[in-house]
Amino acid sequence: MSIDLEPHASESQPSTADCPKDRSHDAVSSDRPTPCPANTPRKFDRRTLLIGAGVAAAGALALPYVRRVLEGEAPVFLAGNQSYDGPLEQTIRDGLLATGFDPVMVRSKRVLLKPNLVEPSLAAPHMTTHPAVVVATAEVFRRWDALVTVGEAPGHVRDTEMALVVSGLADALDSAGLTFADLNYQDVAWVKNRGRASKLAGFYFPQAIAEADLVVSMPKLKTHHWVGLTASMKNLYGTLPGIKYGWPKNVLHHAGIPQTVFDINASLPKTVAVVDGILCMEGDGPIMGSPKPLGLLAIGTNLTAVDATCARIMGLNPAQVTYLKLARRTLGPVTEASILQRGERWQDLATPFQILDEPHLQLLRDRSAGLTS
Amino acid sequence: MTWLDDTLDMLTSADGWCYQSGAEVASEPAALAALALAGHGRAAASNAACQWLVEHQNNDGSVGITASQDEPAWPTGLAVLAWTSAERPLSSAAVEPGRYAANVQRAVKWILTHEGHTLPQAECTGHDTTLRGWPWVEGTHSWIEPTATNLLALRATGHCDHPRAREAVVLLLNRLLSHGGCNYGNTSVLGQELVPHLEPTGLAMVALAGERDPSGRVEQSLEYLEANLVPRTTAASLAYAVLGLAAHGRTPLELDAWLATAAKQTLRRGASPPRRALLALAALGEACPLIALTRNPIEV
Repeated sequence: MSIDLEPHASESQPSTADCPKDRSHDAVSSDRPTPCPANTPRKFDRRTLLIGAGVAAAGALALPYVRRVLEGEAPVFLAGNQSYDGPLEQTIRDGLLATGFDPVMVRSKRVLLKPNLVEPSLAAPHMTTHPAVVVATAEVFRRWDALVTVGEAPGHVRDTEMALVVSGLADALDSAGLTFADLNYQDVAWVKNRGRASKLAGFYFPQAIAEADLVVSMPKLKTHHWVGLTASMKNLYGTLPGIKYGWPKNVLHHAGIPQTVFDINASLPKTVAVVDGILCMEGDGPIMGSPKPLGLLAIGTNLTAVDATCARIMGLNPAQVTYLKLARRTLGPVTEASILQRGERWQDLATPFQILDEPHLQLLRDRSAGLTS
Repeated sequence: MTWLDDTLDMLTSADGWCYQSGAEVASEPAALAALALAGHGRAAASNAACQWLVEHQNNDGSVGITASQDEPAWPTGLAVLAWTSAERPLSSAAVEPGRYAANVQRAVKWILTHEGHTLPQAECTGHDTTLRGWPWVEGTHSWIEPTATNLLALRATGHCDHPRAREAVVLLLNRLLSHGGCNYGNTSVLGQELVPHLEPTGLAMVALAGERDPSGRVEQSLEYLEANLVPRTTAASLAYAVLGLAAHGRTPLELDAWLATAAKQTLRRGASPPRRALLALAALGEACPLIALTRNPIEV
């Protein structure tokens, strides 16, 4: 099936596409497990809406209330003062449990861990997910009797083997006895675009993704010079194979980066997030930025809520991030009141990330927090 | 048995024309297998892979990525090189001249009628976005590897002076970084220059062999390759880097040892037939069809 394309810039700048008009999800296929309840957008009932409408008529505070009702709520776990040689496995386990993850769901199930290996460099360890976080996460799921694979489709380099070696992940996987799935070169299965914010009719996911019962998005927390930040949702660009989408995955850029971030997330099987925010990237991310030590692990079963929280920590206003605007309500909550904090408070971990002095990025700065570039 | 013999044996069957064990047959691995086998004198086996490419050539002359996916068609240039090399194998069991001529003609016609999406020049992008080149996927921008591969295909079939080939040379030179080398095809974004990678640099150097470069960036790119090849360099990057140097008459002293190490490592990490085929091609040095064909093209 041919890919639906809309030619745009070689790397699209952020657009201001409207939210999709149809916010319903198609039913998941019968051979897939039921989505984790925490991932399912909470449905509002008529009585709740009427209450909300009544409150809205009453005063200025009503709108946030109505938003909370419509958005649903989701927990996000934050742990600060983390290090790559610390007790990561325990922290990640605690985080997943604190956000409502039920280990029984992954017993004997296929779990694919998806780190970010976009274009590893020995000189830039702040560009890719640290192997220690990947292995620790793998151990958590293996102890829950899941069948764990690590997979990635690096977007800027065709030599995946090089990406594994230079990032250090090859040695780490060898030592841990973990298998790696090269998502750039697998047989593909077509999945209908359930987000429909872009014009792409569907996505060709590689076999390991199509067969996974759970995909764990494991990004490196970084600024992004087009969309503001790259965290658990943008990381899932790397679930799509380069043999279908190119190096870089220009098909997605042409269709709109925020739109395709939203669409991919809407179309994937069940996902959770474990964000490597221990050594981050600020400035000219996602490739040429500077190291930003933060010591953070951010974990959640709702990727929209995780990314919104990460944005706040970085000093960005998630309400201004286009892909989060698209995801709001259909995929998860963005407003602070709808995100249930577990572990540490984001306010205690927040530190402004440097961003480029570009108008489309400066718009994302959270001025209300008094943070500056 | 040497790693090379083992590799060539593996490439003789359809199992050697997949990206990974158990996957469906794919055009790039089949073409690389055909090239490697032809280069090492295994004509009959090379021809079998070429025949698979013939059977999967689309009506419009393009060759899609796998047996079941006829789009995108970026492997078309590789198929042209495979068919062209089949007519000049080292062994006496060569295919008859012109056997794949019709396939090559149709594929070249497709290559010449497709191009990358161009854009008005923008300040935020460092390279010339008005040059056409070739993309990975129809309707998207041009990038290094598909442009280099199609340039090689045009050169191998006597189209070296075609305007599209000349423009491709300009494009590849334009995408070289200021200190040499290239990546997938961006130079600078928002004023920040990016970094080079071995694989695309190597392939670009093969494609630019024999071309004039007043800027000096080709020489800088060759120096980048020489400086960054190390014993642990992985198979695909090593192979293309070695071929890039070989196309300019340079050979690393440690080549044989590095190829053997890369072959052993890539096998240990999960046998990837195309990576092993690339190593077999690199072992040929200047005799590699990717280089030899463009020095002695067949007019089509």
